[in-house]
Parts: sequence; C-alpha cells; structure tokens
Amino acid sequence: MSTDTQWRVFEVFHQQSRGEPHIHVGSVHATDGESALLMAKEQFGRRQACVNMWVVPADAITETAYEDADIFEHGTDKSYREAFGYETTKRARAIGDTRDI
Amino acid sequence: MMMQPTRCTNDKPGDPGYEEHLAAFEARVGRGDKVEPGDWMPCEYRQQLIRLIHVHANSEICGALPEGGWIPHAPTFKRKLALCAKVQDEVGHGQLLYRAAETLGKSREEMIEELINGKAKYSNVFHYHAKTWADVCVIAWLIDAAAIVNQTMMADGSYGPYGRALKRICYEEAFHLTHGYDMCISLATGSKVQREMLQDAVNRWWEPIMMFHGPSDKESKHTEQLMKWRIKLMTNDEQRQTFLKKYLPKMLNLGLTVPDPNLHFDEATKEWRYTEPNWKRFLEVVRGNGPASALRLATRRMAHEEGAWVRRALAAAQAGDKVPMPTAA
Amino acid sequence: MPTEAVQPSVTPAVRSAVIDLLYRLADDSVILGHRNSEWTGLGPILEEDIAFSSMAQDKLGHAQALYTLLHELGEPAPDANAFLRTTEQYRCCELVALARADWAFSLVRQFFFSEADRIRFELLSQSAFEPLAQLARKLHGELKYHVMHGRMWMKRFGQGTAEGRERIQTAINAVYPHALGMFESTAQDEAIAAHRIGPSESEMQDRWENEGGTVLSDAGLTVPKNVKPVYGGRAGKHGPELAALLESMQRVYRIDPNTQW
Repeated sequence: MSTDTQWRVFEVFHQQSRGEPHIHVGSVHATDGESALLMAKEQFGRRQACVNMWVVPADAITETAYEDADIFEHGTDKSYREAFGYETTKRARAIGDTRDI
Repeated sequence: MMMQPTRCTNDKPGDPGYEEHLAAFEARVGRGDKVEPGDWMPCEYRQQLIRLIHVHANSEICGALPEGGWIPHAPTFKRKLALCAKVQDEVGHGQLLYRAAETLGKSREEMIEELINGKAKYSNVFHYHAKTWADVCVIAWLIDAAAIVNQTMMADGSYGPYGRALKRICYEEAFHLTHGYDMCISLATGSKVQREMLQDAVNRWWEPIMMFHGPSDKESKHTEQLMKWRIKLMTNDEQRQTFLKKYLPKMLNLGLTVPDPNLHFDEATKEWRYTEPNWKRFLEVVRGNGPASALRLATRRMAHEEGAWVRRALAAAQAGDKVPMPTAA
Repeated sequence: MPTEAVQPSVTPAVRSAVIDLLYRLADDSVILGHRNSEWTGLGPILEEDIAFSSMAQDKLGHAQALYTLLHELGEPAPDANAFLRTTEQYRCCELVALARADWAFSLVRQFFFSEADRIRFELLSQSAFEPLAQLARKLHGELKYHVMHGRMWMKRFGQGTAEGRERIQTAINAVYPHALGMFESTAQDEAIAAHRIGPSESEMQDRWENEGGTVLSDAGLTVPKNVKPVYGGRAGKHGPELAALLESMQRVYRIDPNTQW
C-alpha cells in the first residue's frame, strides 16, 4: 500500500448562470470543502462560465445501484401522470371550449 | 457513494455464473450502452481499462515536462501564455484521468507511485528531449493531433467515466492543436533560421510520431479484445492512417519534408504507405530506455517527493473552516 | 517607436509619473508570472499545480495589459518591451526576481505579493489616469482569487503539522525583507500622489502590514519584527537572479526580434 496521501475526493457541481441548475462536472482531491472549492475553481472553472460552485465529499453521496435501474421502470401504464395522457382538448372542443386548456 | 469503485464478484472465467454475467455484459456493450463504475464487469475488462487509463494519465503528467521546460523561454506574451495554459491543461487532464481510473478501484496514490518507481508506462513520445523551440511547436501541433485522433475515438468507448473525461479533454485540446499549427505556420513562413529549425524538429520527431499510436496491428497483442469490449474503436494502424490522411498534406503544404523515402500515397488502396517503424525500439523506449526516460522519471520523482511535506501537512488540517475573505468588496 | 497618441490631457509631468508607475507594475507582474509559471507541472498536488499556474497566467496577462498602456504612451510594444529590455532597465522589486526555491518559498512570496497587489489595484481603481483606473477595475476578480488562495494556504499550514508550519515560517522569514522592498519609493512618488495617479507606497505598506499580518497571526504564524527592507529594484539595481531570468526569458525572442514567432 502507498504511504502517500492525495487527500479526499470532493464531487464538483457548477452553475453556469443564475437560474440554471447545478450540474456535476467532475471531482477534485482536497483536504476540506473550502480548499476543494478553490481548487475546483481552476480545474473546472477556468474556461466555462460559472456563477456558483458546490463541492460535496464523495463519501457523503448515497447512490442507487445500476442493477436496480429497473425500479425506475413502469410496470403498468402511468400516462395518467402526464398531460399527453388525456384527450381533454378534443372533449373540450366538443363542449364548445375553443380556447387553450 | 458516488462514482466509487465496487469490486464485483465472480468476474473471472470459471467463476460460478461468469458466463451468464459475461453474456449480459457483452450484450450491453454491443448495444452501445455505457458501463458505469457500479456495474458488473469482467475482471479482465477492469484490468485492461486501469492499465490503459493509467498509462494515459501518466502520459499527460510526463508530457507536461518537455514542454513545461520551455515555458520560461517562450517568445512573446501570446506564446508564453498559451504554452503555460497548454501545459496546465495536461496536468488537468492527468487529474481527470487518474480520477476516472480511480473509479475502477486503483487509488491515485498507487498510480503515481508506480509511475515514479518506473513500474508504469507512459507514451513513447515523452521519452525524447525537446531540444529547440521548434520541438515545442512540432509537439504542440503533430503530437496533439495524433493524440486527438486517439482520444476522439476512445471518447466513444464503453466505459462511462473514461468517456466523460475524454470528452472534456478533447474539447480543451482543440486549442492545443490550433495553437501548435499556428506556431508551425510562423516558423514555416518565417526566416531561414526558423524554417531550418522547424525542418530539423520534424526530422527528429517523425519516427516517434509514427510510433505514437502503438505497434502495427500485426504485432499488437491487446487490440482484438479491447475492440470487442468497445474500449477501443479503431486499430492502431487505422488511427495512424487517419492521422496521416489529415495532417501529412498540411505538413507538405508548409514546405516540410518527411524523413521516410518510402512514404507515398497508394492510389489503389487510398492509404499512405510508409516504412514500418522499428517496434523493437519502440518497446525499448516505453520500457524506460529512451533518450530522456531517466530525466523524465527523475524530475517527476523529485516533484513528487518535494511536495510530500505539503500533502502530509495538510492532511491534518481541520475540515469546514472558512477562508477569511478580502475585506474590501 | 513612439507612435500611439498620448492622452490629450496628460501633461509631461503626469506622463513621466504614470510611465514610472506603470513600469514598476508591469515589470513586477511579468517577472512574478514568469517565476510562478516555472511551477507548471511540478506542483505538490495536481489540483494546486493547476491553480498556481492559473495565477501565473493571470500575472503575465496583467503585465501584457500594463505594457499595452505604456505603449499607448509612446513606449515600445509589449513584446519588444518585455523581451528586449536589459536587467538595468527593469524596475521590478527584488522579491519577484528571486529564484523559485522550494514550494513554501514560492507560495509565501505569492501570498505577500497578492496581498499587496489587491490593495494596490483597489486604490488604483480610483486613479486620475483613467486607462489605469479602468484596468484596475477589470483585474478585481482575479486578484481577489489570488488573495483567497494565499489566505487559504496560510490558514491550512497554520493548522497543519509542525513540519508544515516550520517550513512556512522559515519561508516567511526569508521572504519578508524582500517583500518590504515592494514598497520602495521612487523620485516620482510625490508627483504620483500630487496628481492622484496612485496611492503612496507608505499608505499601501501600512495596509499590507495590517491585513497580511492579521492573516498570519490568526494562522498561528509570526511576522518578523525590525526587518531591514531590501531596496534597489525600483532603481534598476538588481541581483544576479534577474539577469539569469531575463537571459532565459528573452533567449528565443532575441534570436530574431523582427520576425513572427
């Protein structure tokens, strides 16, 4: 085993402009959040626009397993959750409502 | 944990259920689906990827050295800034790639130590000296061009984290190539001294460049398996042809000659023919017996050892402390 | 090649004062940028290597912008100015010219310089010489990052191992006399103050000692007392390290200053 330390890993998220969501862009090795931010600023912010950056210790993240990706699949028709699952425009026209619904 | 390695079980031929796992894995890869860190993958796939990404990361870190040595001498602000930014990018690419390899279960500590102990390889081209300013120009143009051929292809490969790192790397390297070509145009259209300097650099770098994509398909031992698992999407010779087709005409257009009497375009096959590089010498070079191998390793080791106290000192720093900000707005 | 138009409102006295100041700023920037760029690829950890290189590039960019202002006042173009002047013609302080030594030394130098740089350009954003005031306002964000970076490291080393604290303290002691040399005055200082071109060196030094000193003492590090500053750089009197640096920096450009590189 190595006796060296490359410090901990922090995942990096950036926001390109106000109003946009933060997006995962990569990770840095750092000792703590504050220094991770200053390092991530140059590794991931030296070209693209950025107004805000987050760093999160990688070991603070809990994720699903890819083999459990099927839990996101729909076993039955779930189109009732979507606007396109309805024919209401046609029905509204039939009752004389010609405006947008 | 996100993007952290999960050791999978039964990942070797002969293990219970291996064949079923393998069939599902190969079906996924065959569909063009990406493999992610938590997925089951054959042990051999993991090992090949670690080997490949590790060598790639080392090449970025060692590639920073021959060019980094010329940052102090770069003529003009524009060149000095661009060269510094390019070498910085190479360090950044090393960072991205070590991180991608870490998702397969090997730590950056281990990978860096294997590099400085001479146990891990890096690209053949960085085992040579950069003797003149023109060498910097040729490296920036032609070696980056060759690397982009390789990396653009690898970016579509099956392993998600490697592909993501390579997409970012290719985006950043577009500037390296442009800047390299720009510098070569300056020398090729400049004074007699500049033109001679450039031709001399091309003469010395041609063989290492022709070796860059690795041994010919007849000799390459890993290619078939790597292509089946979509780690690689082109053979070494295909990459070399792609490079020659795009960049050789540009070199000739600059009035440069290439030190290979057998080099010609074969109209029948629409391919460039060339003298086969000496692959025995290539293997000698990448094993650490190139002209600058000892210097590169010594420099890398010294930088690592001289930075050890910094890494040790900060390992003890408190988490969560705010940096005191400048007082003025 | 004095070709560019001088600001119409600039009197000869103001012009001389501005030129004197700009050379000090530009020469400090290019030499420090050069020194720090030598670390690219050799830093103690990859992430910091990248950050330190960015700051070196920032300083080289600042130098280029400052030489451009000089060119607009009739001085040589930026490349010719930086790549052809001799050691005696340079007006940088000795601090920036010193060989990079170990990383503690380079980091501490960058810390002391950034603290001064930010104060200097913040005050210069009020300069009566409007082109300089405009430039100073543009550099605000980069210099703020340099200060954040330096303070973060000082604080971390203060909290870290005894070995780290010792190495940083040794570097502080070695760098400090040269750091005081940043504030060496020149014959133009009165004119610079009188024409509101820039702040006085002593005003900046007071603020620098106060702000930088607080960061260090908060981190548990010690500011040396009763130190004799190293002066001479602003008058063109330099040690052998600047001469060696310029030979290295100008080597390729001087092969042919009239060609394109």
